[in-house]
Amino acid sequence: MSKELIRLENITKSFDGEMILDDLNLTIHENEFVTLLGPSGCGKTTTLRIIGGFERPDKGRVFFDGMDITALAPNKRALNTVFQKYALFTHMDIAENIAFGLKIKNKSREYIEDKIKYALKLVNLEGYEHRMPDSLSGGQQQRVAIARAIVNEPKVLLLDEPLGALDLKLRQDMQYELIRLKNELGITFIYVTHDQEEALTMSDHIVVMNQGYIQQEGSPEDIYNEPENAFVADFIGDSNIIHATMVRDELVNILDTDFVCVDKDFGENKPVDVVIRPEDVELVPRGEGTLAGEVTNAIFKGVHYEMEVQAGGFEWLVHSTRLFETGTRVDIKVDPFNIQVMNRPESEDEEVLVIDG
Amino acid sequence: MRSKIEKIYMGIIFIFMYAPIATLIVLSFNGSKSRARWGGFTFNWYIRLFQDDKIINALANTLIIALVSTIAATIIGTLTCVGLMGLKRRSRTIIMGITNIPMINADIVTGISLMLLFKVLHFETGFVTVLLAHITFNIPYVMLAVMPRMKTINPNVYEAAMDLGAKPLYAFRKTVLPDLMPAVLSGALMAFTMSIDDFIITYFTKGSGFDTLSTKIYNEVKRGIQPEIYALSSIIFVVVIVLLLASAGFKNRQISEKKIALFRMERRLTRKHVAVFAVLSACIVLLAMYFGGVFARKKNQLFVYNAGEYIDPEVIEMFEEETGIDVIYDEFETLEIMYAKMVQNDAAYDVICPSDYMIAKLISKDMLRELDLNEIPNRKYIGEQYLRSSEAFDPGNKYSVPYTWGTVGILYNRNMVKEPVKSWDILWDEKYSGQILMQDSIRDAFMVALARRGYSINTTDPEELKEAADDLIAQRPLVQAYVIDQARDKMIGEEAALAVIYSGEVIYTQRENKNLEYCVPEEGSNVWIDAWVVTKHARNPEAAMKWIDFLCRPDIALMNFDFITYSTPNTAAREMIEEEDIRNSEVAYPGEDVLKRCSTYVYLGEDGDTLYSDMWKKVKSGGS
Repeated sequence: MSKELIRLENITKSFDGEMILDDLNLTIHENEFVTLLGPSGCGKTTTLRIIGGFERPDKGRVFFDGMDITALAPNKRALNTVFQKYALFTHMDIAENIAFGLKIKNKSREYIEDKIKYALKLVNLEGYEHRMPDSLSGGQQQRVAIARAIVNEPKVLLLDEPLGALDLKLRQDMQYELIRLKNELGITFIYVTHDQEEALTMSDHIVVMNQGYIQQEGSPEDIYNEPENAFVADFIGDSNIIHATMVRDELVNILDTDFVCVDKDFGENKPVDVVIRPEDVELVPRGEGTLAGEVTNAIFKGVHYEMEVQAGGFEWLVHSTRLFETGTRVDIKVDPFNIQVMNRPESEDEEVLVIDG
Repeated sequence: MRSKIEKIYMGIIFIFMYAPIATLIVLSFNGSKSRARWGGFTFNWYIRLFQDDKIINALANTLIIALVSTIAATIIGTLTCVGLMGLKRRSRTIIMGITNIPMINADIVTGISLMLLFKVLHFETGFVTVLLAHITFNIPYVMLAVMPRMKTINPNVYEAAMDLGAKPLYAFRKTVLPDLMPAVLSGALMAFTMSIDDFIITYFTKGSGFDTLSTKIYNEVKRGIQPEIYALSSIIFVVVIVLLLASAGFKNRQISEKKIALFRMERRLTRKHVAVFAVLSACIVLLAMYFGGVFARKKNQLFVYNAGEYIDPEVIEMFEEETGIDVIYDEFETLEIMYAKMVQNDAAYDVICPSDYMIAKLISKDMLRELDLNEIPNRKYIGEQYLRSSEAFDPGNKYSVPYTWGTVGILYNRNMVKEPVKSWDILWDEKYSGQILMQDSIRDAFMVALARRGYSINTTDPEELKEAADDLIAQRPLVQAYVIDQARDKMIGEEAALAVIYSGEVIYTQRENKNLEYCVPEEGSNVWIDAWVVTKHARNPEAAMKWIDFLCRPDIALMNFDFITYSTPNTAAREMIEEEDIRNSEVAYPGEDVLKRCSTYVYLGEDGDTLYSDMWKKVKSGGS
């Protein structure tokens, strides 16, 4: 793993008595594409703003390259931010927008002009120097915002839901652009979003947050395949999350039916949650599977069919390339590797404790 | 048919709206002073207007106050809006509510409370207090314009600038301010208009010796409107119309243009104009400091309070030149107003010129300072008989030096009044209904009614006063108006046939209109003396003595006589009058027979004053 770049230590922050971040610890490494992912109000933007210097934590410290920058003003930090609503300077043209930071640093005119050309080329906006921000589309404006940030050669680029205001097609295009940019620049990106698809597509490292706590950290694959709790499982992709009982090691009772699994060390007859991804639920003819059910709904989704199956008193979500018509009696079968068993918290507080521990 | 009615209706509305202004503009070109007579087309009043230092001075004050207060209020108001954005919505709403109070509050309340505050804090009222007052009431107008714009500004823009390395102030200047600029400019324009327009608050905070255009015009109007004021009002009207049309035209063009072009323009506007604005502000602040210095009370200033048009302005200039003393000259309309002002602030003026009974009142209230006669050698030119008469209100001549004197009588137009005028009775003659002008002053009005019945003009007998009051009420329907200085112009313009008037006005009016005649009725009348006194708490008594001495110099007394035409008690000056008919005029210097039937007013004491003013209120309200 590469060198540590940013470390947040025991960060606590509240607004008007409402706790936003509680004792948060996070380490970000050099040259990573890190995504802070979570629903609105989870504290991801506040975390980003603390890194950017726009908020001061109530408690805790922020380190950058080993230096304590907790009290350092934003204009003195070696990082730049791309804001959600672009935040371009509407009374300046594109070139002036991009030159803003360089002029403050008293760079020479030639240097600035080179940089503007370079940055506009990088974001595919050559020739836009003398347009006004308001004459550009949302996607173009966002690229200008990125260009304006990167000409300052920051070590870290902070992006606060930069694609949130764009339409779907543009958003997908921009995702690839961002990955390309990150690779070309070779710097660290810290990206905030509530869109799990964006996170899974672009990130090297995902930090899932909820209610001011980090729920799970890891690579996109880890997060998707092995969610550590029901929140992560539910938030990342579609899931069947079912209350179950761990009978003993490698055997779990789901909806009064025993399923073989690969998980161990939960104890005997312990209440647990299981997560089964819809594409991991196999539908087979009646008699060939573990649990009997009936298809109640089926729609075509392009890549696959999405079906709902009533079985064992639970409505299962199933993705399959093979269609079973509504009303078809089927059996459900799940590969032991595809059953993800998780501790079931008794309450929200416990949920938190389990995760921290 | 219907459209015809509509057109007529529109026409009537337009006439109602614009007839007054049209009249004003026409009169501003009228060669004659009279409102009733067309004396040919002239630019004279406009020329006189721009030659009138006092009005030009007031105009300069108005503009300086408006500019400086606008700039200060714009800066403070804008910064307040910035600060408010950092607050929670609830506190912001509360503070916005509080800052709006000066705007929704009645001007009179704002004015009086500011005046009281300045008093309590011992501020010298004048330029600085008016400026502070204007800044105070201008701030909400700026905030009203800026706040909505402020709310639309994306706070990320400011953060983005910081993020790119800008220091907080630079970030604000480069990103937020240009976005705010249109709103800031419109707020400034509004504040500027409000400041120019304001009368009430200015009136209460201006103190003595300082006037803006609005208070100046008000003072002028009180003393009878001079045609210069028509000219000034016409100019103001035209300027406002031009500004209005210009701003409307500008707006229309803006709307029709494309958005991008608009942005370009706005951008150019903000950049260049911020620079211009900054330079301008700097100049104006310097100017303000200069003027602030001028208006701050200096050691050698003399505050003079006199009746309207009661001195040759050149005399003031000569005094300033000869002594190096700065004269701050204010005028009052009636002695009662003068007294109220004295009670309000007994140190506001150093030297004032009241009449006999008012001097007695001021002496009894211990509001005057004994004169230092060694400093007034020229007093020797004042006729012995006038000093003797003065002893009636100023025993020992300790406090006052006579300035003018005269009688009260009836001025009438020979062509309109065919019978000989001998008695006050003619003012109750129904033949002259609507042709009679009475003096709008308590003592003079009662004097007429009391003298007519043969009572003492200083009576405090409630019965006699009641009769006099009833007579005045009965006379009301015949009276065209109760006036003060306007009587002169109305008589010249032949707008009335008969007027109660001071003898000092007669020479002037007869010069302007040969048909006018003066008479002191046989029942008797008032003989009065106006004299200069120094206030008890005068801050510059030495200069006040010099002032009085200067006015006693025969050549100066003569200049004043030529200008104001009120009889001078200065015997040396009288001898220097060239025209014999004036030197020996029966009007200016009446014979013993006339003086014998006239008496001076006596100060009636607190109770007497109350009695008169109660009766006066009844008369003025028509006896109800």
